[in-house]
Amino acid sequence: MSNPLALIAEITHRCPLHCVYCSNPLELAAAASELKTEDWQRVFEQAARMGVLHLHLTGGEPLARADLEELVASARQARLYTNLITSGLGLSRERLARLVECGLDHIQLSFQDSDQTRADWIAGTKSHAHKLKLASWIREHRIAFTTNLVVHRQNLDHLEETLRFLETLRPDRIEIAHTQYYGWALKNRSFLMPTPSQLETALQVVAAAEQRLKGKIRIDSVLPDYHAKYPKACMGGWGRRLVLINPAGEALPCHAAGVIPGLVFENVRDRPLQSIWNDSPAFEKFRGESWMQEPCRTCERRTEDFAGCRCQAFLLTGDAAATDPVCSLAPSRGLIDQTLRESPSNVVSAAALASDWTYRPNPTRT
Amino acid sequence: MAITDTSKPILAVGCRWNRENEEPMLLFPEGAIKVQGTGLAILELCDGQRTFPQILEELQRLYFGADPKRIRDDASRFLEQLHEKRIVDF
Repeated sequence: MSNPLALIAEITHRCPLHCVYCSNPLELAAAASELKTEDWQRVFEQAARMGVLHLHLTGGEPLARADLEELVASARQARLYTNLITSGLGLSRERLARLVECGLDHIQLSFQDSDQTRADWIAGTKSHAHKLKLASWIREHRIAFTTNLVVHRQNLDHLEETLRFLETLRPDRIEIAHTQYYGWALKNRSFLMPTPSQLETALQVVAAAEQRLKGKIRIDSVLPDYHAKYPKACMGGWGRRLVLINPAGEALPCHAAGVIPGLVFENVRDRPLQSIWNDSPAFEKFRGESWMQEPCRTCERRTEDFAGCRCQAFLLTGDAAATDPVCSLAPSRGLIDQTLRESPSNVVSAAALASDWTYRPNPTRT
Repeated sequence: MAITDTSKPILAVGCRWNRENEEPMLLFPEGAIKVQGTGLAILELCDGQRTFPQILEELQRLYFGADPKRIRDDASRFLEQLHEKRIVDF
């Protein structure tokens, strides 16, 4: 087994935004449980020694940690390529300059929509106007700049307008991320699931933008898996390429793995990352092929998609070892088809939506 | 975009080397590539100062006796591909 290439560091679950599709678990880590600066610094050193190349600092909102500059500096000293995934909320021009000085390589700024009002009700807070200023400050530095847009039924109808707006911010990269249905997004799925005609239009809009922006802005976009024929190779396979560490220091194979019952995640406070990666039962659980069921066990695609996503299999079928139900060959594909059939197709008003969907809260300080 | 005689190629913003391993890696947002041989020779000359013809001259010295047209074709194809991936700017 080879070592991971990337470390996703969820350094806090605190966040001023309340996005209805947040990828954090429903049970958020309290501020008091967070790893200390020196714990993270030790982990970055360990990760770099293991051959990890990329570090993704995420949250929650990573800016909520007062020691973010120190963390970036240590990551860079460990020679990790350091990416900050942020809403940008509360990031001043001065703090941005300090982060760049500490060695930040890449900043990934999230957008909810091109329109201020719509963006603010998706995020459950006022944040859009500040992001615009921030984007221009980012371009004053020689760091890579990605704008990230999470798309769903409520904002797909003006994807073209949003892309044209994002272009004006002059990012190096635009990432279009279809909502994935775990945690908060699963709770809000009936409001977020796109319609087939929205997806069809989105494909054309993205293809046109790719053509228009060739050589200027790279566009990365992935089809939502509910509408695909085969599942995604989630995280490049369980415990194969990526490791995630949550605010409390537990090492997980992915963002959502905590939903699978019976898995015990070891903590980087207690053991070096390399040992956890090598033999902790949670990482071993879905490595290899012996755990797979039919049709995966004998399917020739098993070495490409590793039977899809374990968390999705559990959340939708109750069995974490089942074939990912989005696969057209899965015995449980009917569940997905039913969800797609029963998903409403309406785009609703901001006020109606705000009263119905579940905003992600900010975790407590203790 | 086609590279021209006035182009001065340089690694794109947010793209840098990692030379910790035997083979140098080029790191960029969400990815990394191992670079070796001719590719490495070309990229090491992309400093934003040298023009494309100056890079070709140096390559010609390095690969003495190689067909100049072939060097030009290979180098432009290589750099144009990396430009499209936003790894090289010119």
